[in-house]
Amino acid sequence: MGKRLLLASSVAAILAFSASAEAKTVIKMMHQGDPGWVAAYGDLAKRFEAENPDVDIELIYAPHDAYNEKFSAAVMAKQLPDIMELDAPFLANYVWSGYLAPIKDVIDADVLSDMTESNIAQGTYAIDKQLYAIGLTDSSVVLYGNRKYLEKIGARIPKSVDDAWTREEFEANLEKLSKVEGVKWPIDTFRGYGIKTEWITYAYSPILQSAGCDLIDRKSWKSEGMLDSQPCVDAMTMMQNWVNKGWVVPQSSGTNQFYAEGHPAALALGGHWFYAEAAAAMKDDVVVMPLPKFGAKGASPDGTWIWGITTASKHPDIAGKFVSFMLKDKAYRDYAKSQSAYPGLKSFAAESPLYAPGGALAVAFEQASKTAVPRPPHPAYPAITAAYMQAVDKIFNKGDVKQALSDAAQKIDEDIADNDGYPPFNGEQ
Amino acid sequence: MSDTALASAPLAQPAKVPAIRRKRFNAYRAIQAASMLIIALVIVSPLFLLAVASLKDDRFQILADMGTFRAFWVSNPTLANFAEVAHFSGELAFGRYLLNSLIILFATVVGGLVVNSMAGFVLAWGSLRGRAVILALVIALYVIPQESIIMPLVIMVSRAGITDGFAVQIVPWIASPLYTFLFYQFFAQLPKDLFEAAEMDGASVFRVYRSIFLPLSLPALATVSILMGIEAWNQYLWPILVTQTDYARPISVAIATFFGQDSIFWDRAMAASVLMMLPILAFYLAFQRWFVSSFVGSAIKG
Repeated sequence: MGKRLLLASSVAAILAFSASAEAKTVIKMMHQGDPGWVAAYGDLAKRFEAENPDVDIELIYAPHDAYNEKFSAAVMAKQLPDIMELDAPFLANYVWSGYLAPIKDVIDADVLSDMTESNIAQGTYAIDKQLYAIGLTDSSVVLYGNRKYLEKIGARIPKSVDDAWTREEFEANLEKLSKVEGVKWPIDTFRGYGIKTEWITYAYSPILQSAGCDLIDRKSWKSEGMLDSQPCVDAMTMMQNWVNKGWVVPQSSGTNQFYAEGHPAALALGGHWFYAEAAAAMKDDVVVMPLPKFGAKGASPDGTWIWGITTASKHPDIAGKFVSFMLKDKAYRDYAKSQSAYPGLKSFAAESPLYAPGGALAVAFEQASKTAVPRPPHPAYPAITAAYMQAVDKIFNKGDVKQALSDAAQKIDEDIADNDGYPPFNGEQ
Repeated sequence: MSDTALASAPLAQPAKVPAIRRKRFNAYRAIQAASMLIIALVIVSPLFLLAVASLKDDRFQILADMGTFRAFWVSNPTLANFAEVAHFSGELAFGRYLLNSLIILFATVVGGLVVNSMAGFVLAWGSLRGRAVILALVIALYVIPQESIIMPLVIMVSRAGITDGFAVQIVPWIASPLYTFLFYQFFAQLPKDLFEAAEMDGASVFRVYRSIFLPLSLPALATVSILMGIEAWNQYLWPILVTQTDYARPISVAIATFFGQDSIFWDRAMAASVLMMLPILAFYLAFQRWFVSSFVGSAIKG
């Protein structure tokens, strides 16, 4: 009798435990990031779970370089998470493919109204104008300078986007810097990031846009005639000349020559995140300047890794609740600030003196409203960026500029043709 | 014997010893030695660089030193990177990743030795019909690169419901055309008399395999162990695709965490790489005698 009672109570306990485990709603979130961010997400999930004991947040990590492969595998295996981190320019492709759901109804209203224009732009799908993703942060690229070297050549230091260096001024300064003692390379364009990351398209395509062309015509969605147009050929020939003259830090020399011992690079075309590292090493010798104007107008990149909710989620409301929680979480914001994160929410901008007027990166934030050009919000973007990166690689390795850009444009147009123009982007509904 | 005695002793007839020939300078041997030295340097220098870099505390310094001879020198060596890597808590418990990799390695190798050696034995000595065709298929499968089948495999394992665990990282890689063929080649070269004598004594095919052929195949077992072990240890893309959580994630993926979107933590990545290298190095050293003899044997036998 005693044994039976024990058995019965054990079974009851196991069933009760199973039932409580089943009662928990599991929300899976796929993300990338370095150890600091990974730990920040882990802590964030714990805080959310403490406030919402009926929810279990399961974090799915994928290394930055293999994120797209991981995502493809999840799609093929029909194992899309509830929440996914995505690089903003890929949003159109993901929405067009049916992977992402609109989020306006599941994100807290105060968070939605807190978004900057650039944040809204990077998360909005051009066809239905709906919001599909949101982020705490955004991004930009600026021109960093070594104050000592700039003073040696007597260079003017621009204070705002409006008085950015012109192409002539910029190239003249590169020439002068190449002759300054201690300068091994006048500029680091961070070729060290390689062609496996998004860097080349992200950071170099604004040079094309400033020069008066683009990766693709944003009305006809054709690349031939645009990417291989004369302004683009001229702009890329200019960059090739910098490389040929030995002015650019080579890919093999890594990504820190601006502040490495001896400061071998005088300028750096770097992301906003580069400031924290550079300032730690160089203190007040770091000068932050707007990107030069290579034509009639300035252009700068925007967009970063943002959060979307997938169509596979059975609990988009809970997923949205977690995303809202994350974007408002103080500790998460504090960690983002420690990484000199570029604000994508107005309240976060107010908390970030680095980007406020007078702050070291104020000019970077100014670019968001004056010169930011999002990468082409088209489903063919993965093909566009891959083709352009290959073209840049060829050009920097002494390839024929016109030929490399024509080949890239052809590849892009072929991808669009292979997908029947990605309707409704071709005008068909 | 005193010195005097030595001095007064008649001089003995010098024994006929072969005259010491002065070695002539051999240009061929010198070039050979120099070439070997260069090859050895090329192979060893990245490992040395890795070890040196892991002892530098500043990730920016590691980058700055790259491309110069300073990359091979550390003025203030420190174990701080190892301490940081080892004590990483929470999501990145390094010891756990190391253990996961060891579990995957051990299970894959043990499973692989059993399955592939049995398959190789049956192909060499079994009475299976169409052995030649199966063998041809095995060889044909060998030339298909792993990457080309990886996505269909992802779909298969997800439909089988074995994602995110150890099984999914072990089971698909146990049966291997390469190792089956290696065992087949080894078993097929053993004398036929061994098989026939055992058969006459009434031994079953399995008994012949287990009691006679397997004990004789130590070099093949060692070779396959090392090759499979290295393969399992270095798996990167597959665990990324099939693991969802940290539960069974191997060390190779953990190291990739140090390569972030905006920052690369070279110092910790180097220390973690050294730690990742040590077990497989020990594994290789433990089996290298058989490994080398197996390869030499294979070369002689063609």
